[in-house]
Amino acid sequence: MNGASDAAGMADMVGTAGMTSTTSASNANRGNGTSVWDAVVGQPIVPALQQTVADASASLDGAPSGSMTHAWLFTGPPGSGRSVAAKAFAAALQCDSGGCGTCAECTDVRNGTHPDVAALVTEGLSIKISQVRELVPKAALRPARGRWQIVIVEDADRLGEDAADALLLSVEEPPDRTVWMLCAPTAEDIAPTIRSRCRVVQLRTPPSDAVATYLSTTEGIDKRTATFAARAAQGHIGRARALATDENARSRREEVLKLPFALDDLRQCLDAAASLVDAAKADAERHCDALDAREVDELKRALGAESTGRKPRNMDAAVKELEREQKLRRTRVQRDSIDRALIDVLALYRDVLMLQLGVRTELINDEMRASLDRLARNSRAESTLRRMEAIGQAREALMANAAPLLTLESMALTLREG
Amino acid sequence: MKFRLERDVLADAVAWTARTLPSRPTVPVLAGLRLDASDGTVTFSSFDYEVSGRVSVEGEVADPGTALISGKLLADIARSLPAKPVEFSADSSKVVITCGSARFTLVTLPVEEYPELPQLPSASGTVDGTTFAEAVGQVAVAAGRDDMLPTLTGIRIEIDGETVTLGATDRYRLAVREITWNPVRPDLTGVALVPARTLVDAAKTLASAGDVTLALGGESDDSLIGLAGGGRHTTSRLIDGEWVPNYRRLFPTEIATVARIEIDSLVDSVKRVALVAERNTPVRLAFGDGQLVLEAGSGEDAQASEALPAQVDGPGIATGFNPSYLLDGLQALGTPFVHMSFTDTPMKPVVIQGIDSLEGEPSSGYRYLAMPIRLSS
Ligand SMILES: [Zn+2]
Repeated sequence: MNGASDAAGMADMVGTAGMTSTTSASNANRGNGTSVWDAVVGQPIVPALQQTVADASASLDGAPSGSMTHAWLFTGPPGSGRSVAAKAFAAALQCDSGGCGTCAECTDVRNGTHPDVAALVTEGLSIKISQVRELVPKAALRPARGRWQIVIVEDADRLGEDAADALLLSVEEPPDRTVWMLCAPTAEDIAPTIRSRCRVVQLRTPPSDAVATYLSTTEGIDKRTATFAARAAQGHIGRARALATDENARSRREEVLKLPFALDDLRQCLDAAASLVDAAKADAERHCDALDAREVDELKRALGAESTGRKPRNMDAAVKELEREQKLRRTRVQRDSIDRALIDVLALYRDVLMLQLGVRTELINDEMRASLDRLARNSRAESTLRRMEAIGQAREALMANAAPLLTLESMALTLREG
Repeated sequence: MKFRLERDVLADAVAWTARTLPSRPTVPVLAGLRLDASDGTVTFSSFDYEVSGRVSVEGEVADPGTALISGKLLADIARSLPAKPVEFSADSSKVVITCGSARFTLVTLPVEEYPELPQLPSASGTVDGTTFAEAVGQVAVAAGRDDMLPTLTGIRIEIDGETVTLGATDRYRLAVREITWNPVRPDLTGVALVPARTLVDAAKTLASAGDVTLALGGESDDSLIGLAGGGRHTTSRLIDGEWVPNYRRLFPTEIATVARIEIDSLVDSVKRVALVAERNTPVRLAFGDGQLVLEAGSGEDAQASEALPAQVDGPGIATGFNPSYLLDGLQALGTPFVHMSFTDTPMKPVVIQGIDSLEGEPSSGYRYLAMPIRLSS
């Protein structure tokens, strides 16, 4: 869940609303591997983190702390699995055997119910200072289960200046057993005052074959589908999982990739923009409607809604608050859905550019080679670059909360002109 | 599950366990209250990952079992029941509560998803519940309220043999209370920093239980604090990190001037004078010649001045304080007179202690220190 630029798989994206972690059975049982590290795909840095876990464990018994430290910054491009890596690291630190994946500690961290692991997830464009105020006291607690008190901030690049200042004191001088884990695309996205306190864990875009292997071994997906999904997702694990398991995601992608071939006149451009927005809305409905309803239902039930003889008090306020968070989440799902579509279109033009420049490389959309060839012959590399730039600008504008339809219309017109 | 309880017993038990339940739980099951019935005992428990509460009461258990139901709703229902025996009977999906002609059906929540409550750490000793609640209340007035400075929002409990020392500070004042208690071992030592809000609430609600057990645990189970009394158990997370190092040195050792004053009239005067003090400006106190003169405000329009009889021993001294900090200390003493001690400079803190008469010496073990505000001349 790494910002609008991060086209994560829906299954990952819709798991939580605000700080509330609602555990569904499908989420709860995902870790069927033998180690929490199995979910960290194609990252050469894992052995170093495992060494740190061993050092950390020894330090609990009085040994020097070795490579263990109190503040970590997980960086890496969208989809590289920053928060997945942070959670694996958290579980491994809490686990008696370095992240077995099956014990109570590992399971509780994965399900978001470990008392000594707090996570701040944001659905909004920025992390509010009130969210930091809730988090700081948690960072000051002594671990209830005796190992580490861990605080994870996903999307730490969304800390505004005030929120970052509020966090600083706590990151600077944490208690002995407290561990901060921040996640952001690059170290430069974090205020220097905080960054300088953190050890950086640099993740990379996992190679396609590593993603494919992960999908087929861990998720039981057939080799051909896994290979296609890994390539099409360009190393984005959540996206690859969605493409491999969700028929809708695949057909949606096919629709999107037709877009560059249907920009002949103004009408078509406007239609293309509108269809991207509509598809994103449909996406959000498909993924949020049922989840929203279930969360509201569970909350009402927990507060006693289905009981007879007396009406629960204050339930409406609690439900309203939940619905506010759900609305934010829906907005984010829509934004991310559009962004994912734009990444797919961008990859298509990237393939076209490779053909135009005569670079011999694997095409992301190899199955469309014939049409890509045609597109390459009918335009020049300069126009392709301008088109790619227009897509990049649209993504940035959307990430800064620009109005989707207008932004996409203007992008579509630029794509047409070239 | 099937059992029967007296209404008052039920209402007390449920009110106490449900008081910490959130109105908006982070995980739905955490809104639940767990019922366990077995062998003539019914146990009610609640837990939010930070604070747990458990109370066991005697009841006629016809059919042992376990159920999880909405805690706030149950508390609401329990309060409303007539003074008659209350019967609970549960199947896999609901609990039916009957009391006289009243009948309620509560849907059960999935008890298998409910987190296990932490064990009470091993006991450290026992203390009189009323004394402990009073002591906790006295030091809590000085605890910080800024969540961004978490260690200052705690009350520090220090055990040294037969003495328990409680302390709290927000950097502008410091309150310390010593009490004697019965440790499990005469050489027992230990320290814990407990969130003030939680400790105040726990101590207050256990005050009537007679002896209260404090459980700080040993080396292997010192990650929580437990308090128990009268069939009630509660545990709380602890705050980690450095409190004020060596705080005892903050109390001045060289006393130059001591003033003894009747508290009620001093409190009234401070309140009246403070009315004209702007935010964050001091009330000025000048001691000498058998009286205390209080002043606040500046400029001609907004000035207030009052004089009170005071027994002043030592050279006269004039200093200024944040009026609400002064009032917090004075009102926490619980005695008719106050003993205020100063060094020979108005820049050093005042130490406030309670005395029973104008001739008395402080003996209660409670000391409240307030930093002065520099007076502009
Ligand atoms: Zn494990």
